[in-house]
Amino acid sequence: MAPPPLAQKDKKLFADLLSQYENRQLSKGRKTADQILKKYPEHGETMCMKGLILVHLGQRDEGINLVKEGMRKDLSSHICWHVWALIQKSEHKYEDALKSYIQALKFDKDNFNILRDTAVLQTQTRQFEGLAETRHNLLRLRPFNRHHWVGLAVAYQLNGNLAEAKQILEYIEGFLRNVGSYDVEFSELLMYHVRILEDMGDFQSAVDMLESHDRAKGGSVLDRMAGTEMKVRLLAKLKESNADDEQKTAWTERADAAWRWLLSQNADGYEYYKGFLANQGIDLANVTDENREKALEMLRGYFNDQVATAPRRLALHVATGQEFKDLIKPYLTNALTKGIPSLFADLKPLYRDSLKRQIIEDTVEEFRATFATSSPPTGDSIEPTTYLWALYLLAQHHSYLGRHKQALEILDIAIAHTPTLPELYMTRARALKRAGDPHGAARAMNDARLLDGQDRFINTKTGKYLLRAGMVDEADTIFSKFTRGGTPAGVDLEEMQAMHYLVEQGDSYRRAGKLNLALKKYYVIQKVFESFREDQYEFHQYSVRKTILNVYTEMLKWEDNVRSHPGFIHAAVATVQIWVALFDDATLGPSLQPAETTASDVSSKKALNKAKKAARKGQPEADGANSKKATATQTEDRGLEPPRLKDDDPEGLKLVLAEDPLERADKYLTGLSELVPQNMDICFAIYDVAIRRKKYLQAVRMLMRAHSLDSEHPDLHLRIAHLRDTVSSLPEPIPAPVGPVLAESIASLLPEEVSLELFNSQYLQKHTSSPMAIVAHAKVAQILKAPQDEVDSILFTVLREPVQLDHEFAVLSYLKDMKSPRVEEFRIACNDRFELSTLFRSDEEIAALQKSFTESGESPDDGEPLETVV
Amino acid sequence: MNIRAVRVEDLAGMQDCNLHNLPENYTMKYCSRLSPHFIQTAKIDRIPRPDLYHALSLAFTFAKMEEQEEPEGQPATNHVPHGHVTSISVMRSYRRLGLAKKLMLQSQEAMSSIYRAAFVSLHVRKSNRAALSLYRDTLGFTVNNIEEKYYADGEDAYAMQLTFEH
Repeated sequence: MAPPPLAQKDKKLFADLLSQYENRQLSKGRKTADQILKKYPEHGETMCMKGLILVHLGQRDEGINLVKEGMRKDLSSHICWHVWALIQKSEHKYEDALKSYIQALKFDKDNFNILRDTAVLQTQTRQFEGLAETRHNLLRLRPFNRHHWVGLAVAYQLNGNLAEAKQILEYIEGFLRNVGSYDVEFSELLMYHVRILEDMGDFQSAVDMLESHDRAKGGSVLDRMAGTEMKVRLLAKLKESNADDEQKTAWTERADAAWRWLLSQNADGYEYYKGFLANQGIDLANVTDENREKALEMLRGYFNDQVATAPRRLALHVATGQEFKDLIKPYLTNALTKGIPSLFADLKPLYRDSLKRQIIEDTVEEFRATFATSSPPTGDSIEPTTYLWALYLLAQHHSYLGRHKQALEILDIAIAHTPTLPELYMTRARALKRAGDPHGAARAMNDARLLDGQDRFINTKTGKYLLRAGMVDEADTIFSKFTRGGTPAGVDLEEMQAMHYLVEQGDSYRRAGKLNLALKKYYVIQKVFESFREDQYEFHQYSVRKTILNVYTEMLKWEDNVRSHPGFIHAAVATVQIWVALFDDATLGPSLQPAETTASDVSSKKALNKAKKAARKGQPEADGANSKKATATQTEDRGLEPPRLKDDDPEGLKLVLAEDPLERADKYLTGLSELVPQNMDICFAIYDVAIRRKKYLQAVRMLMRAHSLDSEHPDLHLRIAHLRDTVSSLPEPIPAPVGPVLAESIASLLPEEVSLELFNSQYLQKHTSSPMAIVAHAKVAQILKAPQDEVDSILFTVLREPVQLDHEFAVLSYLKDMKSPRVEEFRIACNDRFELSTLFRSDEEIAALQKSFTESGESPDDGEPLETVV
Repeated sequence: MNIRAVRVEDLAGMQDCNLHNLPENYTMKYCSRLSPHFIQTAKIDRIPRPDLYHALSLAFTFAKMEEQEEPEGQPATNHVPHGHVTSISVMRSYRRLGLAKKLMLQSQEAMSSIYRAAFVSLHVRKSNRAALSLYRDTLGFTVNNIEEKYYADGEDAYAMQLTFEH
């Protein structure tokens, strides 16, 4: 298709159009385009440019159609492809945009701007081989700009060509030698070079390079701490990879000096002590009787540092017996006198050693006894507060160890002593939560909040506790005290990507059976992580230009793994479970639809309205761009980004009716199998989707992986039985090659000759005292069509022994799921057993508890701040 | 508590710490935009447990070197390098340990020695007496002026500054 040629003066006009667009003179540009099109209505490039301008002016659909039309007229124009790429990029379709840029380069291979954007997109999409080529071309065009050299070095490194990267860096350093000794970018470049040497395994050259640029000797590496940290790491690697004893001694000495320097700069760095000891052959995590004394001695060397707490705390970890006793007493005295609220969190890791745990308990009890019996406190005595903090510590201690009653009693004494310290109520909240009383816990946390309404930390905790107690609306009211005025808390916290909130809210909806609203929240989490991916876009160019290379390349790695974040994994697993439930029970989706005639469930209706309102407020520009088409002045630049689409399903009611639940579940799981291969929940989630999609090999692979991680896991037991049962009840056997491989794989998990009944009873015999194993056994019995009363009585065996509350709760939920006739019986038995817990109350009682919170004067008036600390 | 330099993978935890503690909110994008500049600033954490949703960032400073406007390829003129503390946050349950002071000192040291900053500036809420006392009495900042309605909620800020000696 030959484009219609423009006459000379019209070419000039087209050049005007381009520069008008560059300068965002949009109205002018549109007029110019119209002028050209009048004469050449088939001119593709002009059509594309006009389309692009229209998109900027808010006429997105019209503009895009015009661009498409223009492209059809002139497929060999780099301008057309470039315009199209810009539009794809604005929609975050990076892979597609890159393809268009590559097309554009076919017709104009030395176009600098297109090359530069191509490089950015190749980095964004991790196509490093192409990136190296593009960076090479950029350098060829602008060889005198050092950023293009840096860009090429980075491209080589990302593509794994470390030797080439090193060569380029040496070259740059050669012509930068005259920048003077004080240049932050040069310093960063040197550090980057050292890191590449390290990655190449050339530790000796890396150390030499660091030393030759040592700032203490007038060198150019300006960040001495980062430089020294790198040096000690390299020396450790040298020691590891080399057998020569004499050299090892020399390296040890050099490293020792470097660690000491680092500790002189920051005596609170745990990692520094770890390395300092490791350099002397002591593994801080596994100190032995042989090296214990030496380790303590090295730590004691830093005791005279008045400010640092790390050496004393680490000594507690290392010391045993009498030594520990001698160290813990002054440590506790100091912290209790100062009233350090984090003391318990600080000590908790020591509890892995039960002797230390007991010593701590005894020591604090001693304090308490001393203070409690001493004469009534006089005005200037510091003892009352020390006594209070000792009570506070003891309460946390007992609560952590499951002695709920004891913890609560101590807190009562403490609160009677000082009724104004929020920490005491916060601890009470936590103790109640652990005892299984989420409602009392929320109330206690709110009591803390009322004492210091200016503190966002307590506010957040209160909201979270309310969500745990199933009070979504009340939680929103609390959260909104710190979110932007006027917007509902949910909208603001979504925008702020508040993971703690999104996860809790999703879970809260899910527990309440509002699967539609839960799904909506979990999808917001997915969106948040998608936006992390987009966020990095602007760094590809910026970091190279500013020579910020070490952090930048770390950031790329982090971006690649960001979805391994536990919050994302949690949301993925929950989402998959909901989709699977919707698939398994086709009536579930419809049952979530609001019953128009019998609007009996007022509270859920309220929640729905709230979601509706939130969605409306969240999208102020909803259906803006398109509907305003006719009325807009059409001169304003709205940018290329598409307007946010109005959410026409804010409550997720259509979502839960989706016809492809398994495909949607599968999509949420994309890549997680490789990203977190050790995660059992992900194995199970992938299995649950795969088996239903009849992807048997994928399904069995996941169970084999889970088997290698924990072969006795209850959820695995259930799924192995499920797999065998599903495959053996297929109407026709699966043909080769899949069939035999599958059979063999299943047999590796469960030998063919073992019947499911036997498999299931053997499992129970092995785990008679594990409630979750009993539940798994019952579920398999259900697969095997055991009668309800038999399944019920298996589950009731859980009550024979004292077990954890959440396990009993899981049994109760399962009984409810099965609609067992013995639900009430089980509930009452649990309710009697856990006297502090409200989890096993009847639905009416729980509703009353929630209502009583609302009525107990949860007043919007906040208390006065007690103390505002930094 | 462990004090160390910030790493990229801390971003999520730091954002979380911020949302828990401060009335001002920062999105991840904002956090990551600062990241090139906070390489040298310090952060405090506890060794996180794998079963927690969020890595534990107990406290951190966001401090950065103020950038000069610099067209590509051209040297900047008349720019006095100086630092600015954007945000400092300590989890409520980890207060009274002197963490804020320790973090500020680490961050000031980096600004002064690596970037040769002439001074560091910050803003503090007029009502925040404890913070004011930390900056003024402990760290030696002086109040430059009052910026009216500096905060989104209408509160005034003290603009404070500390000059470094080189």
